[in-house]
Amino acid sequence: MSGRFLFVGKRLILAVPLLLGVVLLVFLLLQITPGDPARQIVGLRASEADVAQVRDQLGLDDSVFSQYARYLGGVVQGDLGFSYKSRQPVADMVAARLPVSGWLVISGLVVSLMITIPLGVWAAIQRDRAGDHITRGVSLLGIAMPSFWVGLMLILLVALPTGWFPVGGFGDTFGQRLNAIVLPAVTLGIAMAPIQIRSLRASIIRCLGSDYVAAGRALGASGFLLVRRFVLRNAASSMVTLAAVQTSFLLFTMVVLETTFGLPGLGQGMVMAAVQRDLPAVQGYTLVFALTVVLVYLLADVVNAVLDPRVEIRG
Amino acid sequence: MTSTPSPPPPSAAALPAAVLPDATLPQPARRRPHMPRKFWIGAVIVGGYAVAALLAPVLAPADPMAQDVANRLADPGTNHLLGTDELGRDVFSRLVHGIRVDLMVGFLGAFFPLVVGTLLGALAGYLGGWADVVIMRITDLVQGFPVYILIIALVFALGPGIRTILIAFTAIAWVIYARIIRDAILRVRSLDYVQAARAAGIPHHRILLRHVIPNTIHQSVIYFTSDVLFAILAVAAFSFLGLGVPPPTPEWGSMIAEGQPYLRDQWWLAAAPGVAIVGIGLGLSLLGDGVDDRWRR
Repeated sequence: MSGRFLFVGKRLILAVPLLLGVVLLVFLLLQITPGDPARQIVGLRASEADVAQVRDQLGLDDSVFSQYARYLGGVVQGDLGFSYKSRQPVADMVAARLPVSGWLVISGLVVSLMITIPLGVWAAIQRDRAGDHITRGVSLLGIAMPSFWVGLMLILLVALPTGWFPVGGFGDTFGQRLNAIVLPAVTLGIAMAPIQIRSLRASIIRCLGSDYVAAGRALGASGFLLVRRFVLRNAASSMVTLAAVQTSFLLFTMVVLETTFGLPGLGQGMVMAAVQRDLPAVQGYTLVFALTVVLVYLLADVVNAVLDPRVEIRG
Repeated sequence: MTSTPSPPPPSAAALPAAVLPDATLPQPARRRPHMPRKFWIGAVIVGGYAVAALLAPVLAPADPMAQDVANRLADPGTNHLLGTDELGRDVFSRLVHGIRVDLMVGFLGAFFPLVVGTLLGALAGYLGGWADVVIMRITDLVQGFPVYILIIALVFALGPGIRTILIAFTAIAWVIYARIIRDAILRVRSLDYVQAARAAGIPHHRILLRHVIPNTIHQSVIYFTSDVLFAILAVAAFSFLGLGVPPPTPEWGSMIAEGQPYLRDQWWLAAAPGVAIVGIGLGLSLLGDGVDDRWRR
């Protein structure tokens, strides 16, 4: 047991330099982006004196090192700077948009698991037979389809003919919002499922070849029962790792689908900020996404340590 | 890797010289007789797209940029196979010319990372020491980052356009190739046939070319075909978001975005470019899957 705590502790300590690196990369965006931020804030017609004053206020004439220290200090206190466009604190914009993205991601993952678990198990049991080939073909098709196009086709084939779902936007009441999230969540699920199916299939097949499953077989378990009782928990560990690896793709798909469906989440915010050339907002959203990924990796390792007592720190 | 070839051990020296040239060494990267059928189906699809890209000016009935606002949003028909878009441009012609843009960005967006990653990975594996440490720590950092989000941030900083997209892809996707090559070098240099080759005094670059690369290339090829697919999907997505290939260049993702407002009445404007993407995507998947199958068996 202590070994596991040690592992989690080491993992936490290892995350610190990664977090610092992430903040550094986001900070460097300011340095590689051409143009004078102060000029952007005050507008093209402002005088040089005004520009100089804003530069002074923002500390843009300080050394890069002290600017980084100030940025890092702000981030630690939850201060992500002010948007050039809305003049709001970026942290407030993030906070307002976070729940929308959260709901989309959670419901999208639920949908993807509803697709992945039956198909992945079926493909593994039917290895090299019809079910396996059908699942594989469906996955290939799923990988080849751009998520935003799938979303538009769902609007075209489901939302427009039936009128059950809005073609975009989020709504004000809880009911409207629930309704607005259905098609984006289904689209997100379809986008995530193919890679999950492949991975679940592979890890079930690996487990099916092991000794404890042979023991299960000897006890008379077979088919779905065998998989449910003896395999899934063992296959879960590699699924947790996959979920972490998939996070980056998940977040990107979320960004694309929020824009497709007009959902006011973090992704739509980031795209709008990028189009409007709102540097602090882009930095803020990038940082939030990056921190999410770092935390998910951390969480995945911790969960795996709990699920599987054999986990040790990897080289 | 030690910098000079070690002196041949006595057993190797005792062998007749004629046995030693590397043609006679075991070569695990042996050719197997044929590729699975899906490889060929994929190859035909991808080849078809490539030919269509080459022949785009012949195949396209109209200039993809020519506007005819009086005739905007026309239905599909004999004049315009897939109708016209909001500016009266012939959609079919734009679709065909779009193959050039998407296929080129997809191919280069996977090719540059392959080259950069292979070089850096070979450097890391070959030199070892601090070069290895630095290069591998960078791969860790990139892999621990949400790469697509990083691309959006890079596109923001460098401005949209094909050049930016290619720089961003290269900056991020080289990691996997670097790892493949580095790991292969570390693994392979302890193998018997490489030891034998080194014992025979065969120079390092020859060992790398004849024994290391042939044994890893299939892995890189599998990643390469799926990277071409991901690059095509990504450039379409970025263009859809307005952060990729700027208009009026015919590109499938931006065509879908331009078609979205007309989904109710001119659904084909958004549907057709997506079908084009799914087609090339399936072709590349089958191709990669076929290579994968052949090397697994």
